[in-house]
Order: sequence, then structure tokens, then C-alpha cells
Amino acid sequence: MMSRTTPADEFRAQLAALLPRLRRFARVIARNVADADDLVQVSVEKALVRAEQWRPGSKLDSWMFGIMKNAWIDDRRARGRRAEVALPEDTGEHPAVSPDDSNTNLWAVSEALNQLPEEQRLAVALVLVEGMSYKEAAAVLEIPIGTLTSRLARGRTALATALGDPP
Amino acid sequence: MKDYEDKTLMAYADGELDEAQRAEIARAIELDPALARRVEQHRALRAEIAGAFSGVLGKPVPERLVRAARQDATAGDGEPVSRRGTVVPFPGRSSRAPTAGWRLREWSAMAASVALGALISWKLLAPEAALIAPRDGGLVAGGALATALDRQLASAQSGNEPVLIGLSFRAQEGYYCRSYSLPRVSTAGLACHVRGEWQIVTTAGAAESTGVRPAASPPPAVMQAIEARIHGEALDAADEESARNAGWNSNGGQR
Repeated sequence: MMSRTTPADEFRAQLAALLPRLRRFARVIARNVADADDLVQVSVEKALVRAEQWRPGSKLDSWMFGIMKNAWIDDRRARGRRAEVALPEDTGEHPAVSPDDSNTNLWAVSEALNQLPEEQRLAVALVLVEGMSYKEAAAVLEIPIGTLTSRLARGRTALATALGDPP
Repeated sequence: MKDYEDKTLMAYADGELDEAQRAEIARAIELDPALARRVEQHRALRAEIAGAFSGVLGKPVPERLVRAARQDATAGDGEPVSRRGTVVPFPGRSSRAPTAGWRLREWSAMAASVALGALISWKLLAPEAALIAPRDGGLVAGGALATALDRQLASAQSGNEPVLIGLSFRAQEGYYCRSYSLPRVSTAGLACHVRGEWQIVTTAGAAESTGVRPAASPPPAVMQAIEARIHGEALDAADEESARNAGWNSNGGQR
């Protein structure tokens, strides 16, 4: 049945293999699990539509994170400011955490991350969680390295304070 | 004593300085415990943030995402899910209503797909090449290998897992390392958890399974790599578990 492997099949297989990391990235930047997985799905669909724009041999993860970053920012704009105040406090629901998360630290860390401005959270997600170099992260976010390091440093200071370990 | 900008210390902790700067900070740290403490705080925070999310990688991927990525090969029409109208329109969602709704909808779907998801993630999501990926001139574990290194306990293996964990130990530099083997591809190696990632220190061909649990006897090259790094004893089952639960954070689980 599926004996031929085309470049498109290969692309889809690589994309599928990246899903766990895309979900992780989404959970760092989105405010709850449902939004995170929706962000992954929308981004995957966008990626498939423009698969031919991806240069084979370049890093698929960087490319995907860039698509996700743009999709997320578009989504934030579409929702406007209202969502900023409606979530997450008054839902009683903890952001970025689902009931099967045994890692209790995830709660504290998610809460601290959600206090950060979007731009700092993106920098933290790419460098601290995804382990990208400053150069790679700056390229994904389409900002100069100096801007990335400023955002990262500010984000870290705020996280350290929120997590009770001020610098 | 010269003071350094926080950004510089952060870049040092992240391994982002060039060799000259790196050497300068390394010397300064030796002379100034306060500086060393600041660098350590950067490392600890990084490990804490990365560790908090490491568990996400081991979670089964919801089937709808797998289907989206593979453009639902079972349907065979090759069209994105969104064009068939089966996807929740993401940008148009209201900000609050879906949260409560999602829980029922998603969890019932999850319940049905957890078993399938676990299967799919092995059948579809694990091309061997993705298990080890180049990064910054080195190699890091990815995919199922990273997941197993993050989550799997040597003490709780049946021996049939695609990735088998061997020894876990703390290296002289303080980080954790774990040896592993991939019986399917007759490969074994040693990975160390540095800066939130499993860096592959060495890989070697493993002898074909002899019936002995392959993870219990790493090939000589891996054994040498272990001996060159190990500090004290290998972790026992209890220590392995607490290190795992602390996200292999090099500051956690110290005795």
C-alpha cells in the first residue's frame, strides 16, 4: 500500500516526529493546554500548506517555531486585550497544566511564565526550554541578538523573582 | 574586583561567550564566590524552567495532531484538516468559553486515544534519525531517545523497550549522565544532561543482544566514557527516581 516514500511523505514524517517538541514550545508560550494544542495544530496546517518554502537541510524545528511564533502573535492580536484580563485568574484553571501533570514544579513555573510579557516568554521558551543558541533563537524571532539577550535577561530576572530566587 | 553585567554572566552560563571572554569569566569566578553564585543562579533557573517542561515530551501526542501532521493518511485525500472543517478554528475562539468545554471534549477524546497515541508515537513518530540530532557542533538526543532519557527508569524496564537505560550517575561537573542502548539499531551510548538537553557524549555499536539485558553491559567505548566522568557511584533505583523527578536538574537530588 505505502511502498513509495516521496519528499512530501518525508516532510510529514519529520513534522510528525517534531510534534512532542512543538507541543512543549506551545505550552510554554500559551496560557493553557487547549490553546497550546490548538496552536500546534494550526501551525502544522500552515506548515503543510507552505511545505515547499522549507529548504531541505535547514532546521525544521527553527522553521516550525517561527511559524508557531507568528501564528501565536496573530492569535493574540485577533483576540485583543480582552483575553489578557479574562485569563487565567478568573477561570480557576491553571494555565499550561493538565490534570495528568505530576510535575508540581510545572505549576509554579507556568504561573511565573504567564506573568512575563509575550516577547520575553518567547525568548525564554526558545533558549531555556528548547535549548536553542542565542543566534538561532534570534533568527526564529526575527530580532537582533542584542534584543534577544535583553529580553532573555529581563525574563530571567522576573522568573527568578517570581520563583522566590531573586538574583 | 571587576564587576560583570548580568547579561555577560547569563551568556557565560548559557555557553554563549567566545573563548577569550569565557576564559576571563572562568578566572574571575574562581576569585569571586559572589560571581560564581550569580552564574550558578542562572544555571539553576535554566535547569528549573527546562526541567518543568521536560515531562511534556513524554506525553502521548493527541491523535488530532498526528493526523494533522500526516495529513491523515487514512483519509487519503491529502487535504489539511482545517479545509475539511473538522478543526476547532483557533483564531476565532472566544477567550473563555472553550476552556471548560475543552476539558470534557478533549479528555474523552484523550481517553480513547491514549493507548492508540502511545502506539502511534512509536510506529509513526520515531524515525531512527530523529533520535540523535546535530546541534552546535555536538549531538543531542531527540525524539524517543530524549523521552526515555528524561522519563524511563532502568529499575522499571521490561527489557523490551525500544530504548533501554543502563547506568545513571552524576558526573564530576555535577550534571547527570545516563547510558542507553537502542537494541533495534544495535547502538549504545552515553548522554549527559547539560543545559536542559541530553548531549550525546559517545555512541558505539552494541553487540547483538545475547539474551543478557543489553543495557546492563555497555560496550567498552561507552564504559570508558562512563569511567572518565563518573563521580562516586552510579545511582541506585531510589536516587535514579528522585533525579528523574527533579528533571535531572543538576542542583536537585544532592545527598
